[in-house]
Amino acid sequence: MKKNRLFQMNTTFVWLVACNFLLLASGCVKVEYSKIKEPAYLRVFNNLNYVQTLGSKDNKVPFFCMFINPVVDASGMPVSAEIVGDFLDQRDAYAPPYPSHIGTSTSVNNPEYPGKENVLVGPILNGFDLSSWAQVPSGKVRIMFAYRPKNTVPFFQLENHLKKDILIDTTINLTAQEVYTMHLLQKDFVTKRTGVLLRQEIFHKLPLSDSLAYVNFYNMSGKGYWEADKSLKEDNFLLASFQWGMKDDMNVYLSLYEDQNILNHKGPTVPGYKGKYFANVKLNTETAVVNPYSSFPIWASKSSNGITTNIWPRFDFFVPGMDVASNPFFSGSTDNGGNWVSVNCLQNGKIRMQSNDNAAILPNLLVNIHSGKNNPATFATVNTIEVVNGKVYLTTIQRKYAPPIY
Amino acid sequence: MILAIGMQLLLLASCKHDDLTIAAPNENIRPAADFVKNNYEMRLFYAAIKKVGYVDELNGAGPFTILAPTDAAFNRMGIYNPTDFDKLNADSLKKVIGYHLLPRKLSVTDIPNNGIDVRYATLSDAEVYTSRASTNPNGGAENELYFSGSEVTRQDVILANGTLHVLDNVMKPNFNKTVQAWLAGHPDYSVFVSGLKKFNLWDQLATTQQFTVFAPNNEALKNGGITAASLNEMDASKYLGDLLFGVYLLYDRHFFVSDGQVFSRINSNGSFSYFLKNNSHYMTFGGGKQYPSFKLGYGLVLYPGNGPSDSPIKAVTSEIVAKNDNLCSNGLVHHLVDGLVTPEQAIKK
Repeated sequence: MKKNRLFQMNTTFVWLVACNFLLLASGCVKVEYSKIKEPAYLRVFNNLNYVQTLGSKDNKVPFFCMFINPVVDASGMPVSAEIVGDFLDQRDAYAPPYPSHIGTSTSVNNPEYPGKENVLVGPILNGFDLSSWAQVPSGKVRIMFAYRPKNTVPFFQLENHLKKDILIDTTINLTAQEVYTMHLLQKDFVTKRTGVLLRQEIFHKLPLSDSLAYVNFYNMSGKGYWEADKSLKEDNFLLASFQWGMKDDMNVYLSLYEDQNILNHKGPTVPGYKGKYFANVKLNTETAVVNPYSSFPIWASKSSNGITTNIWPRFDFFVPGMDVASNPFFSGSTDNGGNWVSVNCLQNGKIRMQSNDNAAILPNLLVNIHSGKNNPATFATVNTIEVVNGKVYLTTIQRKYAPPIY
Repeated sequence: MILAIGMQLLLLASCKHDDLTIAAPNENIRPAADFVKNNYEMRLFYAAIKKVGYVDELNGAGPFTILAPTDAAFNRMGIYNPTDFDKLNADSLKKVIGYHLLPRKLSVTDIPNNGIDVRYATLSDAEVYTSRASTNPNGGAENELYFSGSEVTRQDVILANGTLHVLDNVMKPNFNKTVQAWLAGHPDYSVFVSGLKKFNLWDQLATTQQFTVFAPNNEALKNGGITAASLNEMDASKYLGDLLFGVYLLYDRHFFVSDGQVFSRINSNGSFSYFLKNNSHYMTFGGGKQYPSFKLGYGLVLYPGNGPSDSPIKAVTSEIVAKNDNLCSNGLVHHLVDGLVTPEQAIKK
């Protein structure tokens, strides 16, 4: 009897083991990880901006599908590609260090590549997080941008006659392990000539300090934009002084304001940082030279404690011969013939001054965030400010920061 | 052992659904032509479908999208009885009715958000222009849909072989006809046509350049002091033709009246301002639903320039829906109820 019972117990146990085994076996899936050998790191921005208005409704919308190493059929229509970046929309004013738009976005439209695309991204390279850069094959690659209708249908499912409008079809040379940003640009505002600019970035090779914030400037406007008639430009008050363009050669002056909560352009500034000469920027859409980085100390203010600071920078762009002290315009003047434009970089880039000033708005170059027992702690970043026609864009690259202390 | 077997039994028993009932599918959904036939708001549309011989095709497999104008829409065009269709050219009628029928199932959600002038093939040889206002970037959802300038008053009526949208207006496609040919074929606008000819503005209307023409009929021009007789006596060299008649031409634009309404929804700005060609006068076009009729209409306001001290010379609102949105191969013609510029205002100085 006892033996019998033991036998019963055993059988139950065997059943359980068998069931477990089945569960385990069915849970095993062989995962094929995609891998790119010898990758280069690429980030793509579409700088052809547009606005949907009654007057411009018949214009072609610069909304693209990007292909790397496409396969085209006899009629020149792409049928597949090694890498596809679909729904490439005009770029956002702010390109954050992480593809953080994934978390909040409900639309397929991608403000940059890789952006929302679920692809292999770059590693942390010399302390720089490259998760906004996609891995792409190195060597000579063919790159193509095709116009596509602004809807949610993936490119290859579109009707055939919609797939043949190619804007750019070119070959670029990428070196393995190098970091590139590519810009789709309108190079001439009058003739509407477009092109690409491939810039090989060097920030990860520079000996940069942890206590300085770095920024470099580019003017990638179309030739003839600032001279063009106002009626041809986008009328958007949020762009403030930038909307009518700036001249081809400009000096940049830096002012560091003490407090992000004082929304006044006459608010207190850090001593020594009120209209300080900072950099020069010239119109360039032809050569992919990296402009030098300028820097300011993040602990410039006396009120900072080495952990956190509330300062924010303002950049004034003046034509050579003019500066903050000799500025002939009144502070709120937005239409200055391209001689003076300015941008405030504070908070999340959505906050305007309450005083009458003429600045466009972008997020702060300094990252203030909760870190361990410090809330907030301030971290330095490496930035790029790009002016394209009437718009100004900020790209922030985040560095590997010290781990939080609890 | 017993436990294990019991478990198995329980598992098996849990899969048994003897009394599972599925709602019987509705077998009363009608195919397209029968649906239209049985709808008393669309009697005239059905009569037209029947007359041009689309009934069998529309009761077939499909899928179809029917853009069905109501009887009221036909009435506005002067069609009150099915027999009125007999007075029309059968071939032209077939093409116009075919323009209201799409060989696909097009639900509102298939149309891109805020898509403007999205084109879809029809059973005729021209494409229909579809504009959908769905979101306002400043916040808020919109839900307006227009086909070639006609408002959809009821969206997404499900048919057995497709879908149906009720149109507030009959669409007016003219296929290969240019705006010039359209104007030449309408004697109502004969003075306008002679004026365009007299001031060398006529020939361009037959080219492939796009135009939006605000066409004043003879009565409207008479209000503005121009008749056939007075036009004959005019010395063309003494007047600014680009103002006197050029004021009615909008170059390089393709505006349905509904476009103003759509952009007022999605961009909070339904107007477009422009300088007249070869002239310093400044015009503002604005389209939208007019108060108190809530029907689509448009307004034109003419200014001497675009400076802050330039006060309007003349403002006209034109809201005869049935006469607007004549879609031609190189643009659109809208009816204008009043003249904008008198000959005295256009004398060369």
